[in-house]
Formats: sequence, C-alpha cells, structure tokens
Amino acid sequence: MKEKIIGIDLGTTNSCVAVLSGGSPEVIPNAEGERTTPSVVAFTDGGERLVGRLAKRQAITNPKHTVASIKRKMGTDAQVKIATDGKTTDYSPEQISAMILQKLKKDAEEHLGTKVNKAVITVPAYFNDSQRQATKDAGTIAGLEVMRIINEPTAAALAYGLDKSEEQTILVYDLGGGTFDVSILEIGDGVFEVVATDGDTQLGGDDFDQRIMDYLVDEFRKDTGIDLSKDQSAMQRLKDAAESAKMELSARKETTINLPYITADASGPKHLEKKLTRAKFEQMIGDYLDRTMDIVDGTLREGKKTSDQIDQIVLVGGSTRIPKVQELIASRIPGKINKEINPDEVVAAGAAIQAGVLAGEVDEIVLLDVTPLTLSIETLGGVATPLIERNTTIPTEKTKTFSTAENNQTTVEIHVLQGERKMAADNKSLGKFQLTDLPPAPRGVPQIDVTFSIDANGILNVTAKDKATEKSASLEILDSSRLSEQEIERMKNEAEAHAEEDKKKAQEVEARNQADQLAYTAEKTLSDLGDKVPQDKRAQIEDQVRRVREKLSQNASADALRRVTDELSKTLQQVAQEAYKSTSEAPDGSPSSEGSGEAAEGGTDDGADEDYIDAEYEDK
Amino acid sequence: MSNEEAKQVLEEQTVEGTDTEARLAAKQEELASCIDRLKHLQADFENYKKRVAREMVAQEERIADRVILDFLPLYDNLERAFASLSETGDHEAFAKGVKQIAAQFEGILKQKGVSPMDAAGRPFDPEYHEALMSVESDEACNTVLEEFERGYLRSGRVLRPCKVKVSKGTPETKEEET
Repeated sequence: MKEKIIGIDLGTTNSCVAVLSGGSPEVIPNAEGERTTPSVVAFTDGGERLVGRLAKRQAITNPKHTVASIKRKMGTDAQVKIATDGKTTDYSPEQISAMILQKLKKDAEEHLGTKVNKAVITVPAYFNDSQRQATKDAGTIAGLEVMRIINEPTAAALAYGLDKSEEQTILVYDLGGGTFDVSILEIGDGVFEVVATDGDTQLGGDDFDQRIMDYLVDEFRKDTGIDLSKDQSAMQRLKDAAESAKMELSARKETTINLPYITADASGPKHLEKKLTRAKFEQMIGDYLDRTMDIVDGTLREGKKTSDQIDQIVLVGGSTRIPKVQELIASRIPGKINKEINPDEVVAAGAAIQAGVLAGEVDEIVLLDVTPLTLSIETLGGVATPLIERNTTIPTEKTKTFSTAENNQTTVEIHVLQGERKMAADNKSLGKFQLTDLPPAPRGVPQIDVTFSIDANGILNVTAKDKATEKSASLEILDSSRLSEQEIERMKNEAEAHAEEDKKKAQEVEARNQADQLAYTAEKTLSDLGDKVPQDKRAQIEDQVRRVREKLSQNASADALRRVTDELSKTLQQVAQEAYKSTSEAPDGSPSSEGSGEAAEGGTDDGADEDYIDAEYEDK
Repeated sequence: MSNEEAKQVLEEQTVEGTDTEARLAAKQEELASCIDRLKHLQADFENYKKRVAREMVAQEERIADRVILDFLPLYDNLERAFASLSETGDHEAFAKGVKQIAAQFEGILKQKGVSPMDAAGRPFDPEYHEALMSVESDEACNTVLEEFERGYLRSGRVLRPCKVKVSKGTPETKEEET
C-alpha cells in the first residue's frame, strides 16, 4: 500500500483535513469527533499546550496566552510572546501554525491507523512567496513534508473535478466565518492560473450573527425597555440563538427566536420571542452582501473578464449556504454554480485530491462509470420495477425473482426500461424480449430470475431464466448509458416534476393488483376447502368477489378498491379460521400457506427490497 | 550445417514461436480477466460505499425518531398542564404539575446516561468549561464563579460544556503580565 498524503485546509478560524480514500476525498474527524478544528492555540500555566476546541473554550480566561487567527501573521516578523511560569518564550507565526498542523497530523494518524509524514497545504491565492514559504516551514516544523502548497480556490475547483474539463474560466466565491475571498482562475491542460484575486479579510458569517443580535437587542428594548447588551448571560444565549436562526433561514422562509426567561425586572421574568423572516434577514445583511458583489465586480475588471466569460462558479465557506448569496451571484454571473460539496470542507477535499495525485493513488484507481438513470422492467399494471438504481457504479449485476400474472401462462415478456418515472409508459423503452414455453402452472407459482448485468463498457445484458426448467432468454443492449447529458437532465427533472402524480398512479396499480390477487385467492380457497365452507359464507364470499371484480372493471379509485378488498379479506379470514377449527390438521394448500389477508405478494411499499414481485406477463 | 539440420532447427523455432504466442495469449487472457475482476470488485466497493452512506442517513433518521418518541410524553404532559390551568386557574397545582414533568424529564435524561456537571467553585478546566467572562473577585484566580449555562456529561463524555464566569483573582494577586 502506498504512503498516505493528507490534504490540509489551514484556515484563519478553522482548519480541515481530508484524505483520498478509494478514489474519493474523505474528511478526517479530529479527536473530539468534529470535522473542522478551530485554528486556536493556547498555553496554560501548567505549561500545557492546547489546540483547537479546548483552546477556544478558555480563550477569555487566558487571553494573553491564547493565539487565534495566526494565519493573518504568516510571512511577517511578528513574534508571539508567551509568558508562562515566569519564563517568556517567543514564538514565530510558523511555530504557532505548526502546533495546529501537529494536532491535525496526530488526529489523522489516529484515524487512519498509520503514520502520516506528507501533506498538501492550501493557502489563499493572494499569499505572496514569503507567506507561502512560512506555511511550508510550519509544515516542516510539524514534522510534515509539504509536498505542495496550492491555492485555496484551486483546491475548491479540483474538488469539483474542474481540472478535467477543457479550457475554462472559473470564479471562486469564498465567504467564511470571518474572511471573504474571490478569485478568478483559468484552466487549460490541467493547469490552473490565478487571473485575479481580491477580498475583505474582515467580512464573514460572524458579522451576520452580530446583525441578528443587534436587531434582537433593539427589539427587546423597544418591547420591554430592558437593555440586554449589559447582560453577559443573556448575550451568550442571544449569540447562539442568532447563529441557529441564521442557519435555519437558509432552509426556511421564517424562523422564531424563542428565549424564555432571558432576563427579569421588578415586574417579573421576561421572555424573548421574535419572528424573523428570511426577507428581513437579507435586508439586515444586504450591505455586506452588496460589498461582496462589488468585490466580485472589481475582480472581474482586474482580470479583464466580463461576467459571461465565467464558465463555472465554485462556492466555498459556510456563509455561501445563504440563499440570497447564491441568488446574487446567479443574477450577476450566468455560469454554472457548483455547490454540492460541503462548502466548509471543499478546500480540504481538493487538497486531498491533489495529495492523491502526488501519491500516485489516483493512477491506481480505474475510473469507473455510473449508470445515469435507473434500469427497470415493466411489471403488472404497467409499473416500472427497478433492478439497477441510478448512480450505481458499473460493472454491476442484479437479479430479482418474478412470477406470472395469469394461470397457465406460458410466455412472459421482459420489457427493459430506463428512467426515474414510476410508470413504465413514462420511461424510455430499451427493448423487449420473450421467455417462451413455460410449463403451465397457476399464477404466482413459476419463479423467473431476471438478471441485469452491465459490464465496464456500459453494455447491458438482460437474462430471464425459469428456475424450474432452466430455460432462459436474453437481450443485449449496447447503448444503455449513451444518453446525452441534456437528455439525462431532462428525464430527471421530469421525474421530479411528476413525483406526486406518479406515486399516486403506482399506488392505484398496487391496489388493483392486490384486489385482483385477493379475488383469485378467494376463489381458490372456496374450491380448496369445498364443503368445509358454510353455504352462507360461500355466498357472501362469492358476492364480495363479484363486487371486487366489478370495481376492477370500473377502474375504481384505490380507496374504493381497498374498501371492497378489506371486506373480502375479513370474510376470508373468518372462513379460514373456522375451517381450521373443524379439522385438527390443516390441509395442504390451505389459505394460510398462501398468506391469506395479504394475498398479493407484490404489495411492496416504495419498491422496498422484496424479491418476489408479480410481473406483468400476459398470455400470448 | 546440413540442409536437413537447418530445416529441423527452423521447425523447432517455429514450434517454440507458436508456443510463446500461445503462452502470451493465455497470459493476456488471464490479465484481462484479472482487470475485469478488479473492476467488478471496485464497482462493488463503490456501490457498497453508496449503500452504507444511504443506510447511515436512514439510521440517523431512525435514531432521531427514537429520541423524539422518548420525549413526546413530556410534551403531552405539558399540554395537559396547560389544559388544566385554563380549566381551573389553579396556579399552585400547575406549578406542582410542571415540577413533576421536570422530574420526568430528568428521569429520561438519567436513563440516557446524561448527568449535569457542577462547575461553580471548581477550578476552571477547558475540558469541561467554556469561559464567557473573566472578572476580578475575591475567589482564587481561575475559579468558576457562576454558571451561565449548565454543562452535561453523557457516559463520562462531555455532551455540552458548562458556560461559565471565571475569577481573575483580586487585582493584587493577579499575575503580572508583560
């Protein structure tokens, strides 16, 4: 096994480590179980050194011996003076950064169960040579051989695989907790060039939290006359509440900040309850967001690019989750926005990919395709029953067992489909074939294995085999994965747009199938049990079966069908119970062995992994 | 070398040649089947990873469901308390009821291995405490003076650190800082 090289995003407020594992980047959680580590170092009186979360927790009691945001000092002559136990030690920014790197290295080793000696570290695109050298030195001090220093925006682009496309211009918008960066990259032949970069080192999500806090303090003062800003305990609760409100507003249009017993005055306890809409929040932070867009414009001008020359946009930093940020960018720049990878982790992920390339790990990975769309066969009632779900890595093989829908059915037709819709007719037909000469048998008895096998070249082979006779038939489909990207996108969108209606249709078919199966079982039960069924019950069942059939022929709704099948099912169970009482031992082929009540075995919910489905096979 | 001998050597070489070709073909076939197996294995692994990731999400949902179910009875009881309050207007009985609900809450926490930590009066320890303020006081330097938000342990692990106010000591005892 090759030596692992880790990728490190050494950030101003938080750092993150990732490693390439099985061809894809994986974030390494720290010893505290968190995926990012605060870039804070502290020295305690006992001479102990704390890094990360613990250092952050004690910062207020130990401000002189706690170092945060050391990244801002990288490449300068600044010295951090730490006086503990009567001894003063000077630390360079490199040494402090090395302490952070050491923790990341140690936690990575713990997680991977192996020594880690090499790393790729990211730096902002605006870092000059001495800042880059200082970062490299920090790595060396930490015992890491720094294989490469790469730009943060480049790493983010790598994480999205943008190096694999031909010549492109990429804009990386990075809005973190405390800093904002924007970079324009040009890529050609896998090489990235930073065309322009700018930012604001004092603008980020923390400012947004502050705005929400200010608003809440103001509102509370208006409502009660009490100034919460004097109350440290209340302010802490406000801060936490503001941050979670901000996060919630990325998913919802409105949130309620609810802080009971926030404070008290002579008249008694006071509670804070305030609704905050997304619109109001956007208004609060509007000037900050406008400022980021001004910087984007400035960077475009500096790079001599117009907005429609930008092919791709990459979002980095937690604050890019704010819908308004994405909206503003989309309205200003027409290019494709990449935002699927966690924006707090995307830089580390890209560093890990670079590390994997340097370790030679990427070469070892055979690049495999995935099936772009689900592959199914048509089953009873025109339902598309999936065999291979979309996004499955190929080569792969999947087998499911199906049965017949009619008594004495000797031919089954296998209709191969592609697409995400629930009903067969709405999907793309890839081909049909028949398995013939099945021995006549009651419906549901034959077992037919249908196997979908896709080789590494995307060639789909479908085989149907009758288990009893070993008879089989097959079909080869050459172009199952050769759909254009637009076609795939269109089919996915259609599936989404029709999801509700498709689900309803599928449920209706299922209700029909169940009703049909139950009517069949009921008749079989009557003939199996013969005169063990009292005359009145027999008449009742016959009548109920007639009603079920009637509803079926009228194309009644799922609810209406369910009502009549439920009645029939109840009567059947009574009859079965009485029949058993009258005989001490159950005869073969009695209703219970057929699973009375739930007669239709095809009753799968949302395609749950049931291996036995009644397929639509008709007599030819 | 006689003509006859030369012919024999040539024949032998040809035989050897075909032999090498056959061996090469066999090896090539073996290699192709190895690569095919590798691809299958790798695809299986990828699909396995996808499945595990999906199951992880489903599992998280199920765990969240279980936790919510455990706490729903508390909410039921709170609703009962309010219904009773608006019916009878008896504030004393309401307070008593709410107290009992709090006890029920405590019971659930205990059963889940959650226990509160006491911080006030103890030396500040960032392992368990998060400092929000540092003030001068008569208490020894680095003593926790006040809890702003209670901290909790779960099975010995810190679930939530205690948010605290910490003593800087008196101005005299305060360490000389440079």
